Amino acid sequence: MAKWSMVIDLEKCVACQGCSIACRFENNTPVVGPDQALMGRAMRWNDVFPLPINADEDTGEYPNVTSRYIPRPCMHCENPPCIKVCPVGATFIDNEGIVEQNYARCIGCRFCTVACPYGVRYFNWLEPKWEAPLGEHLNPDRVEGEGVLEGPVVRPRGIVEKCTFCVHRLIKARERAEAEGRDFRADEYVPACVQTCTGKARFFGDLDDPASTVSQLAKSTRAFRVLEEVGTHPKTIYLREG
Amino acid sequence: MLPTTFHPQNNNEAVILAPVHRVTRKDLLLWAVLLGIMGIGVYAYLTQWFTGLGVTGLNRPVYWGFYITNFVFFIGLAHSGTFISAILRLAGASWRTPLTRAAEAITLFSLPFGVGAILIDMGRPDRVMNIFFYGRFQSPLLWDITAVSLYLFSSIVFFYISLLPDIALCRDRLTEVPSWQQKMYKILALGWTGRGEQFKRLERALDNMAIFMTLLVVTVHTVVSWVFGMTVQPGWHTALIGPFFLVGAIFSGTSAVVIVLAILRRVYHMEKVLPVSLFNSLRKLLIVFTVAWLYMMIAEFLTTTYGAISDEMLVVWQKFTGDFAVLFWTMALTVFVLPLIIFLFLGKDHVGWMVVAAILINIGMWIERFLVIVPTETRPRFVSTLMEGMGSYHPSWQEIAITGSLFAGLILLYVVFTRFFPIVPIWETAHSGETK
Amino acid sequence: MSKMITRRDFLKVSAVVAGSATALGALKNVVSVQAAAEIPTTLQTAADENIFASTCHLCSAGCGILVRVANGKVVKLEGNPMHPVNQGSLCPKGQAAPELLYNPDRLTGPQKRDRSTGHTSPITWDEAIQLVSQKLNDLRQAGHPEQAVLMHGDTRGQMRSFLVRFMQAVGSPNIISHESLNVAAAKLGVYLTQGIYAMPAYDFEKTNYILSFGANFLEAGSNPQRTISGYTYLRRGRATRGKVVVIDPRQGIHGAKADEWIPIKPGTDAALALGMANVIIRTGLVDADFIKNYSFGFDNIGKAKGFRDFVLDNYDPARVEQITGVPATTIARLAGEFASNKPSLALLPGKGGLLNGGFGGVYAAMAVHILNALVGSIEAPGGTMTQRNMPCVEWPRLSSDPTAKKGLATPRMDGAGSKFQLGRNAYQAVADQILDGIPVEALFLYDANPVFETPGGSRFAEAFKKVPFVVSFSSFLDESAELADLILPEPTFLERWGDDHIEGLGYPGISLYQPAVDPLYETMNTGDFLLKVAETMGGPVAKAFPWKSYQEVLQFRLENIGTDWKTFKELGVWFTPGYRFARRGSQKWVNEIVGVDRLNAPRDGYFDLYSRELYCFLGKMKKDELATLGITMTGDGTSLPHYEETNYAGDEATYPFTLNVITLMSLGPRSEAANMPTLQEISGMTVGETWSSWLEMNPESASKLGLRDMDPVWVESPFGKVNTKVRIVKGLRPDVVNMPFNQGHSAVGRFARGRGVNGLKLLNPASEPLSGLAAFTNTHVKVRKS
Ligand SMILES: Nc1nc2c(c(=O)[nH]1)N[C@H]1C(S)=C(S)[C@@H](COP(=O)(O)OP(=O)(O)OC[C@H]3O[C@@H](n4cnc5c(=O)[nH]c(N)nc54)[C@H](O)[C@@H]3O)O[C@H]1N2
Ligand SMILES: Nc1nc2c(c(=O)[nH]1)N[C@H]1C(S)=C(S)[C@@H](COP(=O)(O)OP(=O)(O)OC[C@H]3O[C@@H](n4cnc5c(=O)[nH]c(N)nc54)[C@H](O)[C@@H]3O)O[C@H]1N2
Ligand code: SF4
Ligand code: SF4
Ligand code: SF4
Ligand code: SF4
Ligand code: SF4
Ligand SMILES: [Mo]
Repeated sequence: MAKWSMVIDLEKCVACQGCSIACRFENNTPVVGPDQALMGRAMRWNDVFPLPINADEDTGEYPNVTSRYIPRPCMHCENPPCIKVCPVGATFIDNEGIVEQNYARCIGCRFCTVACPYGVRYFNWLEPKWEAPLGEHLNPDRVEGEGVLEGPVVRPRGIVEKCTFCVHRLIKARERAEAEGRDFRADEYVPACVQTCTGKARFFGDLDDPASTVSQLAKSTRAFRVLEEVGTHPKTIYLREG
Repeated sequence: MLPTTFHPQNNNEAVILAPVHRVTRKDLLLWAVLLGIMGIGVYAYLTQWFTGLGVTGLNRPVYWGFYITNFVFFIGLAHSGTFISAILRLAGASWRTPLTRAAEAITLFSLPFGVGAILIDMGRPDRVMNIFFYGRFQSPLLWDITAVSLYLFSSIVFFYISLLPDIALCRDRLTEVPSWQQKMYKILALGWTGRGEQFKRLERALDNMAIFMTLLVVTVHTVVSWVFGMTVQPGWHTALIGPFFLVGAIFSGTSAVVIVLAILRRVYHMEKVLPVSLFNSLRKLLIVFTVAWLYMMIAEFLTTTYGAISDEMLVVWQKFTGDFAVLFWTMALTVFVLPLIIFLFLGKDHVGWMVVAAILINIGMWIERFLVIVPTETRPRFVSTLMEGMGSYHPSWQEIAITGSLFAGLILLYVVFTRFFPIVPIWETAHSGETK
Repeated sequence: MSKMITRRDFLKVSAVVAGSATALGALKNVVSVQAAAEIPTTLQTAADENIFASTCHLCSAGCGILVRVANGKVVKLEGNPMHPVNQGSLCPKGQAAPELLYNPDRLTGPQKRDRSTGHTSPITWDEAIQLVSQKLNDLRQAGHPEQAVLMHGDTRGQMRSFLVRFMQAVGSPNIISHESLNVAAAKLGVYLTQGIYAMPAYDFEKTNYILSFGANFLEAGSNPQRTISGYTYLRRGRATRGKVVVIDPRQGIHGAKADEWIPIKPGTDAALALGMANVIIRTGLVDADFIKNYSFGFDNIGKAKGFRDFVLDNYDPARVEQITGVPATTIARLAGEFASNKPSLALLPGKGGLLNGGFGGVYAAMAVHILNALVGSIEAPGGTMTQRNMPCVEWPRLSSDPTAKKGLATPRMDGAGSKFQLGRNAYQAVADQILDGIPVEALFLYDANPVFETPGGSRFAEAFKKVPFVVSFSSFLDESAELADLILPEPTFLERWGDDHIEGLGYPGISLYQPAVDPLYETMNTGDFLLKVAETMGGPVAKAFPWKSYQEVLQFRLENIGTDWKTFKELGVWFTPGYRFARRGSQKWVNEIVGVDRLNAPRDGYFDLYSRELYCFLGKMKKDELATLGITMTGDGTSLPHYEETNYAGDEATYPFTLNVITLMSLGPRSEAANMPTLQEISGMTVGETWSSWLEMNPESASKLGLRDMDPVWVESPFGKVNTKVRIVKGLRPDVVNMPFNQGHSAVGRFARGRGVNGLKLLNPASEPLSGLAAFTNTHVKVRKS
C-alpha cells in the first residue's frame, strides 16, 4: 500500500503561486471577490505566504533583512487533528494516507477548521459563483460513491473543503492503468500543483518505497516538517533553504 | 374524583401563588417585546439560512465567534440551577430551598438556547441528522452532544419531579384560572396526592438524582471545554481548561440566580419569601467563586507567560495588550475587581449592590467566553492571516440580533413560566425554619 | 525477491502483534485516527476529451502549454514538458488563462464608435474590412501611406514580421513597438558594446556566480520561466551550488532568494558596475585573452582615454560607495568573487533602473554587460549566449510600388532615428509627436494599450482626438480601445493560430499557438483580417499577400523548421537543442556574435569597451550640444560607459522618495491580466494585499512620517497624486517607495476597473532625447497621510 507524500524544496520555490492557481483550476475552488477576500475568506487549498506569519517576529533590520515564503498544501498528517474532531467522519484518511473530505456528509460545524494547526481547511461561507461564462472552465471530474462525493465537483455553501492531494488524479491514473491492462505505477499520479511548479520545487511519490524521490529527499538533512512538535506527523515534508 | 390531597402548610402560599393567578396587560406587553426581539433574530437567521454563514463576520481563521460564545455561555448559565439545588442539597445547605426552583428554571431554559446556538452555527443545519447517522464518538462534539442532552433530560426530570407537589397544589387551589389551565395542572400533577410515602420517595429520588446531577454538572462543562481543549491550538490546549470552564460556569450561573431572585422579589413582592439573608448566603458563595476564578486565571496566565512558548504568547498578548485588550481588562474589572469590592464592602444586606455585581459578572463572563474562543483563533500558528491583514473578527448584525434573541428567548420562557407555576417551591419552603 | 519476503513476513508479525493488541486498540480508537471504511468510489468525467499543444501568450516567455479540452471547453492548462522554456511548468498567469478565454468582459464582435456621441454599435466584419481597406487606399491615393501608423505591444513570432510586411506593403515605415517602454535600453547597452541589438541569452545552468543588476528574474524579466528554471538548477540541480547576488533598491522575491541583497541607490548601477570593473582591473582578474584580442578600447587609443584608465581614474570603490551607497569593501569583495568564481554572469534587467529618463540608463546597461566581457563570459559556457532564431522561409519580395516606396522613405513619425537619433522605437513619444502636429490619419493598435501603459498616458487620449481613424484589435475594451473608432477584437491565444520564437536558451525554436476551441465570439485573428484587407485593397498590397488564411502564412513561413506541419501541431513546439558556442574570433564570431548589427562602427568582431558606435553620434559634440541631450560628460567619456546622475523630476526636499513601479508575478504589465479575477485575488501575496494596490515603504521612513502599516496615504509627484495605502516592507531602501504596476484601470473589465491606482499617473512623461526611451524611474514623490 502506497503512502503518498509531497516534498517541497524551499530553496527552489520562488513563491510564484503557480501551485495555488493550478490547484484552483484543477479543483474548482472559487474566486471569492474583493470584499470576501478582505475578510480572509479567500479559498486557496494551496496557499503561498511570507514567513513568519506574524509581524512581531524578528526578521532583521534593514539592510540585513531575511524574507521567506512558504507554499502550503494540506500536510496530510498521519495523526490529523482535523479527522479526530469531526463529529460525522466527513473528513477521513484513506489507507494510502490521503486525508480526504466527503462533501456529501459534512455538516459545516467547522470543528476541523479550528483544529487543523495549519489553516488548511476552507469553509464555503457563501455559494460559490462564477460570473458567466467564467464557469465554463470548471473541471468536470467528480468522485462518487454511496453517500460520498469528492473531487473537483463544485462544493455547495456551508461545508468544508481542502487539499485532497488531487485524489481524483490517483483514481483516474489507476482506472487508466486498469483499462490498459497493466500495473499502475506511482509516477503516473502527480497532483496539479506538483505538475505546474515553476521552480520544480515540488516532488510527489510513495514514502513507503525507499527508492522513491520523496523517500530519498525525506532523509535529507534539510528535511523538516512544519510544527513537528504538535505531533501531527505531516506527510508534506519541506526542505529548508541554504 | 380526586382523593383529598395533603399539602404541607406554608404561610407564604398566597404570596407565592399571587403571580400565578392571572396574566396582566403588562405581562402581555413584555411578552410581545420579547417575541419582537426574537422575531428579529429569526429574520436574521433566515437571511443566514438562505445566504449562508457568509452573512456573519466569521472568517478564516476566526471560524467560531458569537454563536459558539453563546453556546458556552448558555451552557454555563445552566449550571446555576443544578449547582444550587443539587450540590447545595447534597451539602445540606437548607437556606437554598426558596431559590432552588428559580435557579433550576434558569438551567432548564438556558440549555435549549445553548443547543440552539450550536445549530445556528452549523453550515448545513439541514444535515443535522448526519450526527445520528454517522456520529463518531471520537469527536468531542459528540461527547458534548451526549453530555448536554443527558443534562437537559435529567434537568427536566429533576425539575419536574420537584415541581410535582406544587403543580398539585395549583390544581387544587387555583380554581378561578381558565379551564385549559386547570386541565394542564391536572395532567401534569400525575395524580399527586402528597400522602403516605410520596414525599419520602420524592425526597429520596431528589437526593439520588442530586448525586447524578452533580456529576453531570462537572462533566458537562468540562466536556464543553474539551471542544477547545482537545485541539492543539495555543491558549486552548491546556488541562486546566476543564476546571476553568466549570468554575466559570458555576460562577456565572450563581450570579444569574442573584439577578433573577432580585427581580422576582421586586416584581412579585416576595420580599418575605426571598429574604435578604438569601442574598447574604449567595454573597459568601460568590466571594469564594470570585477568588476561585482569580485563582484559575492566575494559574492559567502565569503558567503560560512564564513558559512563554511563543505561539501561546501571541494569544496572551492579544488579550493583554492586543486587539482584545479593552475587552480583556473590562472582563477583569467586571468579573473580579468590581464584584469583589462590592461583595466585600457594599453587598452585605444590599440586594441592589448584589444585583449590580451579578450583572457585571455575567457581562464579564460572556466576554470571558468570547475571549477564550476568539483571540486564539486570531493568532493561529500557521495560517496566512497576514495575507488579508491579520485575523480579526467583527460580528455582523445577524450575529448580534441572533444573540439578542437567544437572551430574549430565555427571558420569555422564564417570565411565562412564572405566570403559570410558582417560582418558589411551596412544599420545600414549608418545612424550612420549622425542622431546624 | 528476498526483500519482498522479509517485508511480507514483517507485515505478518506486525499483524499478529496488532491483533493481540485489540484491547489497547479500542482505547486507541478514541485518541487516534483510523482509516475510514473504504467506500468504493468511481470517477466521473467528461465524455469527450482532447489535449492540444499550444503556447501561452500572457507574457514574453511564451511557454509551451497542453490545453485540456473537456466537452468542448478549455478546463485546464498544463506546461508542455517538451517545451524547453518551461519544461512542463506554468506560472500562475498561464494557469489562469482559462479566465482569459471565458472572461465575461471580452469583446464579442466588431464595433464602430461614433465620435460625436461616443456611442458604439456593432458592425459586420465585411463592413470593417471595407472601412479599413478604404481608409488605407485613400491614404495611398493621397500619396501619404506613411500616415497610417501601427503601434504594437509584446508581439512576437510571425505576427511581428507579418505586421511589418503589411505596413511595408501599404507603404508606411511607422510600425512602432512598445520596446521603448521596456527592453530597448538593455538592448541598446548590448548593441553599443557587443554590437548586436538583442537581449543576450544567459547560460544559467553552467554559471557559478550571478550578479543581477535590477533584473527581476524570479518574478518577471523578459522570460520568467526560463530564468526561474535556470535559477533552481543553479541552486539545487547540480553538484555545486552557484551564488546569487541581487542588486536592487528593493528586496523582492529575487533578493529574498539571493545569497546577498545589495540595496543600491536607484539609478547608480553604472557606477557600481564600473567600481567593480575598477577592482577587477586593479587586481588583474580580467580575462586577458578576451580583453587583449577580442575587445576594443581597453587601453588608451592614441590620445583618447581607454576603458582601463577611465575606470581606474574615476571609479575607485571609495567614490563609488558615495554614489551608490554600497560600502567600498562590499564592492571590492563582490568584484573579487565575481571575477574569481568563473564562469560568472552579470544580468541585465529588462527595465530595472535603466529607464531613468537619461542616457545614463543606457550607459548603465553598457557597464553591466562589460562586466561579462571583463571576465570572459561573452559567448562562453556559463556566460552569455546569442539568441538564434529558427530559419523561416523568406517572405516573397514585394513588388515595386512607387506609392509604398515614397511612404517608406519618410522619416518615422515617432522620431526614432531622427529626433531620437539612437532610438529604434519611441512608443510613448507617438502621443507627443501627434500633439506636435505630425499628421496621422490612421492609427492601429495591436496588442497595445498606450493610454494605460505609458507614463502620462492621458496624452494619448488627447492625441487620439487628432487622429481621424483609430483602430484597436484588442480582445478587451481597454483604455485605448475605449477611444478607438473601430474595435476589431482578436480572439484570445487559445482560439487562434499563431507562433512564437523560443528565447532565452540561445538555440533556436518555434512554439505554436493553435485554437484549442473554436472562437467563442465574432472575433477575427488580426492576421486573417489583414489578409482580407489586403485582398480588398487590391493592387500591390493584395499581391503581397497571396495567402488565404493566417494559418497558411504560418505554414509557409515555418516550412523549413525541420519538421512537418502535422508533427509540429502535435508537439506544439520544435527546436534544435544544444547551443553551440562560437569560437572567439572565428568566422561565426564575426558574422553572428559580435558587431553584426552595427550601423556605423566596423563589424569586426571586437567587443567595444569604448563604444565606437556611440562615438559616431557623440564623439564630436560640444558640451552644450551634449547638455541638450542631458549628458554631462564630455570628450571620450561620452563613448565610454560612465555614471550620469539621474535628473529627477521633483526636488528632493519636497519629494523625498524615488518612485519605483514594480512588476508582480501575478499581474505584471498586461492589462488583460488585471481582469482575471484569480490573479487579482493573489496579486499582493508578499504584503498580504488582494484586489488592490498599495505603496511599499521602509519602516524607518514610515515612522518618520508618522505612518503606520495600512494607513491611507496620498502619493504625490509634480505630475499628479494618487490615494492608496501604505504597507511597511523591511526589504526596501528608506529613500525608495514601490507601487505595483497594472492596477488602477478605468476600463478593460469589471475585475480590473477601479481596483487600486495607476502609479503611472505620477511619472514623468518625457522621453529620453537620444534614444527615445520612456522614463519610469526618474520621478520623486512625497507621501502624506490622507
Ligand atoms: N510574471 C510576469 N513576468 C513577466 C511579465 C508579467 O506580466 N508577469 N511581463 C513581462 C514584461 S512585458 C516585461 S517588460 C518584463 C519586465 O521585467 P523586468 O525587466 O525584470 O522589470 P521589473 O519587473 O520592472 O523589474 C525591475 C526591477 O528593478 C528594480 N530597480 C528599479 N530601479 C532600479 C535601479 O536603479 N537599479 C537597480 N539595480 N534596480 C532597480 C526594481 O526594484 C525591480 O525589482 O517582465 C516580463 N515578465
Ligand atoms: N511605470 C511603468 N510603466 C510601464 C511598465 C513598468 O514597469 N512601469 N511596464 C511597461 C511594460 S514592460 C510593458 S510590456 C507595458 C505593457 O504593455 P503591453 O504589452 O502593450 O500590454 P497591455 O497594456 O496589456 O496592452 C495589451 C492590450 O492588448 C489586449 N490583448 C490581450 N490579448 C490580446 C490578443 O491576443 N490580441 C490582441 N490583439 N490584443 C490583445 C489587451 O486588451 C490589452 O489591453 O507597460 C509598460 N509600462
Ligand atoms: S494539515 Fe490540517 S487538514 Fe491537513 S491533515 Fe493535517 S490537520 Fe488535517
Ligand atoms: S466542518 Fe465538516 S468536516 Fe469539519 S468537522 Fe464539521 S462535519 Fe467534519
Ligand atoms: S495536491 Fe492537489 S489539491 Fe492539494 S494543493 Fe496540490 S493541487 Fe491542490
Ligand atoms: S509553484 Fe513551485 S515555485 Fe511556485 S510557489 Fe508553488 S512551490 Fe513555489
Ligand atoms: S511565464 Fe509567461 S508565458 Fe509562461 S506561463 Fe507564465 S505568463 Fe505564460
Ligand atoms: Mo514589457
